[in-house]
Amino acid sequence: MTVQLAQRSTANGWVQCRLGSFNLETEWEVDPGEILVLFGPSGAGKSSILRAIGGLLRPVAGHVEVGGRVVYDSQAQIWVLTHERRLGYVTQQYHLFPHLTVAGNIAFGLRDRNSSAGKQRVTELSSLFQLEGLADRYPWELSGGQQQRVALARALASEPAMLLLDEPFASLDAELRRTLRREIKAMLTQSPVPVMLVTHDREEALALGDSVQVIDEGRTLVTGDPLEVLGQPGQRRVAQLLGVENLFDLIVQERNPRDGTMSCTGPGLQLEVPLDAHISGSSAPEGQQDRVTVAIRASDIILAKEDLAGSSARNRLSGRVISIESRPPGYAVTLDCGQPMRCHITGAALEEMGIETGQQLWAVFKASSCFLVKGG
Amino acid sequence: MIRAVNHPAGILGTGGAFLFVIFIGLPVVALLVRAAQQSNFLGAVTSDAALTALRLSLITSVISMAVVVLLGTPFAYLLARSESLWARVVDSLVELPLILPPVVAGVAMLMAFGRNGLIGPALENVGITIPFTTTAVVFAQIFVASPFFIRSTKLGFQAVPKDYEDIAQTLGVSPWRTFFRVTLPLAGPAMFTGLGLAWARALSEFGATMMFAGNLTGETQTMPLAIMSAMETSLDGALALSVMLLAGSILVLVLLGLLTRRRWQSR
Repeated sequence: MTVQLAQRSTANGWVQCRLGSFNLETEWEVDPGEILVLFGPSGAGKSSILRAIGGLLRPVAGHVEVGGRVVYDSQAQIWVLTHERRLGYVTQQYHLFPHLTVAGNIAFGLRDRNSSAGKQRVTELSSLFQLEGLADRYPWELSGGQQQRVALARALASEPAMLLLDEPFASLDAELRRTLRREIKAMLTQSPVPVMLVTHDREEALALGDSVQVIDEGRTLVTGDPLEVLGQPGQRRVAQLLGVENLFDLIVQERNPRDGTMSCTGPGLQLEVPLDAHISGSSAPEGQQDRVTVAIRASDIILAKEDLAGSSARNRLSGRVISIESRPPGYAVTLDCGQPMRCHITGAALEEMGIETGQQLWAVFKASSCFLVKGG
Repeated sequence: MIRAVNHPAGILGTGGAFLFVIFIGLPVVALLVRAAQQSNFLGAVTSDAALTALRLSLITSVISMAVVVLLGTPFAYLLARSESLWARVVDSLVELPLILPPVVAGVAMLMAFGRNGLIGPALENVGITIPFTTTAVVFAQIFVASPFFIRSTKLGFQAVPKDYEDIAQTLGVSPWRTFFRVTLPLAGPAMFTGLGLAWARALSEFGATMMFAGNLTGETQTMPLAIMSAMETSLDGALALSVMLLAGSILVLVLLGLLTRRRWQSR
């Protein structure tokens, strides 16, 4: 059994919108069956992009194609109304119609909902989303996961040319989120339709995204493969958005092309970091310092009671514990290594090592755990 | 939940409830008791005068309610969804009849549509006379009753999140159909509540009708006016009409209350 889709076209476009304090300016392209994740903090304008594609928000300028059809073009003065754009739109709050049953909700967008074909389709979708036996229930009688499945089934019922998912799993617990992610992936292999998914959850972006676009204050900072973009972000702002805890502004002292590393210093700090490949060989103009920003994830740092001399790790810094904070599931320990350095450890490690404020510890990490980011 | 034993509002509230029930219930009971003691109650109820007034009240109030619902619903929707300053001005204007004494409303309508009123002569020129006709009765009822419906309906629409309408349209349903398939059903209970209040108000309308429509049997004499006229000759007739009007009002409220009950609920 498959969910039929009339057209399998790429969805693409660009829009400019005025949003309160900033302008939204972005472009996108999604292939059928692929998920483009719009990643960014709340208020970045991610949802507005979906609303602009859906015709629920009028951009200042732009061009939007859905299902091989131009639904908006500011120059050609094309504006297709929302109900003629053939979209599936799912929100965080589901917005199931409270006066309709599960079956009524799923069938809502079907023109032939009272015919046997329409009923057949509702049955198909119900079983695809494991909603059998719930047809006559009202939304308030369902669990959160069931409600979200109904919302997805409803969005797919009218065979959309594109799916817009606005933080669809944000109100569900972690377990359910994983299950629904699998279901979405499975559904997409069966019925390839371009999907745009808004999230501020890195894990979700990595799990679902075929590509990711990082949005901040209405602008696209970077677009690319989720692992690359979210793994070792190349921009300072992206690193901050992803919660990379340690960012240091340093000056390059010496490049070691043989080892693929370079040695950098800053106030009270010296680090061995990967060589900046793209500008290797070129040195800063005479009289100017060679500045870089180095990022290290708190979870990539090992804490030790003694200097791990004789280990392969290129960076071993000693410092006093400034603070210990609970950061579920573990703890964040901050050392004063000339500059504050945050390290994540588990509760068991904290207990075993008996870490206390004021204690002298070593922060140890590989040169390759460091990555360079651009932007002041 | 407030418990009567340990919360001062509980004690006062219980006492207040008791007094209010007596205060409102006693006159109603007294009316029914006196009417029951009457020797020829049935005769008074089925008298020509009573039936004529009842028929007029029913016909005029049904027409008023039809006008109020047909014009008031889209208007209330506009008020609910608009954020402009004008909408707020109009909004408060619509509620003016709630605080305006009905007699004043009647005089005001006379000044507008009367023989020497603002637009009365112009209407007369094209052959339309409103004052002291059945139309005037309907006008008076619409004037005093419409705010009850419009206000309640507006609140009902406001309680329907715009997101439901957005979602419906992404599902391929036109804005027009969305209104009938989503917005209207969701606002339905509030609309029926408003309709019940407006209807009861229209049935009981007295002051404005008296001023603007007069007291002509069969033409402008609705139930409340008939009661007043009857009081002048026989208490029995007035009692019978009062019981009929009371029963009518309660019937309207019960019927609309049944319609307001919904199978679904939002928690």
